[in-house]
Amino acid sequence: MLERSHIQSTGFHNIGPVGARTGFEVRIRQPNYRSSRLSLIEGVDLVIDGVEYPAEQSRIRVGDREYSHAEMAEETVARLYVGSYFTVIVPKAGGLAPGVHHVASSIRFRHPYFPPEFQPVFVRDARHATIILP
Amino acid sequence: MSAFKYGVSLYSYTEDLGTVMSLEDAFDHVAGTGSTGIEILGETSIPTYPEPTTAWLDNWFALLDRYQLEPTNMAAWVDTRITIGRNMSAEEGAAQIAQDLRLAHRLGFKFLRPKFGVIDGELTPDPIWQPAVERNLDLAHQLGIVILPEIHSPTPIKHPVTDAYIAFIERTGTKNFGLMIDTGIFQDRPLNKWGGGETDEIRKKALSFLNGIKVPVEHLADVIQYVPFIQAKFHHIDENLHDHHIPWDRIVPMLKKLGYAGYLSSEYEGARDPWVSIEQVRRQHALIRKLEAEYDAAHGGNVHA
Repeated sequence: MLERSHIQSTGFHNIGPVGARTGFEVRIRQPNYRSSRLSLIEGVDLVIDGVEYPAEQSRIRVGDREYSHAEMAEETVARLYVGSYFTVIVPKAGGLAPGVHHVASSIRFRHPYFPPEFQPVFVRDARHATIILP
Repeated sequence: MSAFKYGVSLYSYTEDLGTVMSLEDAFDHVAGTGSTGIEILGETSIPTYPEPTTAWLDNWFALLDRYQLEPTNMAAWVDTRITIGRNMSAEEGAAQIAQDLRLAHRLGFKFLRPKFGVIDGELTPDPIWQPAVERNLDLAHQLGIVILPEIHSPTPIKHPVTDAYIAFIERTGTKNFGLMIDTGIFQDRPLNKWGGGETDEIRKKALSFLNGIKVPVEHLADVIQYVPFIQAKFHHIDENLHDHHIPWDRIVPMLKKLGYAGYLSSEYEGARDPWVSIEQVRRQHALIRKLEAEYDAAHGGNVHA
């Protein structure tokens, strides 16, 4: 089972070739009480050690399928299920330095049954998480 | 004298399910309250919704049998604003409801609660609700399911949204559409902790909702004939069986007086620390059963065990 926090310890790592990292990934538990069509998630914004990584620049992986921000917005069939996670893939030359980082996430959830002024709502989490390999 | 039926919605165990609680754990906790009914959220409880696997179905029916629980209501959603720029058509809404009716029937449920997207702060449902439901009335009849939109805070009983649902029932003459009351409408003290997905923005802007809309319990008399199912929403009950927000000491006698004999299906929506919900649900059952027994004793009826 997954950690209670939205941001998961496991899955926080650099991507791309060793010595020439192209970015990093953050694994996030689907924190809503019901499964969500991908089109109801308007993006996942990250802030790592005070540096913002807006949703529009990231990709999302669900299972073995990757989506750009624009593709997510139109995906009305595939769902994020309760008890599952998704991965935010962030481009960043060189990746993140090994060590403990402060990671904050904000998921823009659109609940069609919420008043329009609360579409989307921002579901936030923040914690420390560790990059092991450079 | 009529008697309540007791059940639990798995919504009560939100966040525990998927992190520290399995579906079988949840069945055990529900059965442990002495309930006879279990309510699920289709797309939450079924890991491959809308199409359960054979293994999941086998497990579902085995659990119902082992824990002696009957399926009550299946919660579903009609995500009308399906993309940022596009709303569902009535045909799409009807297809969503038809899919959920068939799934609910397959799992043994008698009620389906579709939650419609809304168009304003009064929670007025998207106008497709009416044609989408009407196209499914025959199917619901064939499957023996009653479709129940919920009357949920901040929408009170005396409101155009409720009136429109009742007008629909009277116009169509259907027995397969009714009202579900969420007892959060009776909340009469402010919430200091909401378990419904609170955010800074909601706390700042939705004060009337968080403070409670204080619907008088007497208003139940106007609609009870359309209400076959109640979600017993609550947020915190202390160790003295005192509910801090929902006036059960007024709700229970009114429901008894009106002869309500349907389910009270617990919907805990409070602090989401691990496992807190299990004890909170048990306290609610102890409290409501006590109030029901007191009413029965005072009115010469049977005292329920």
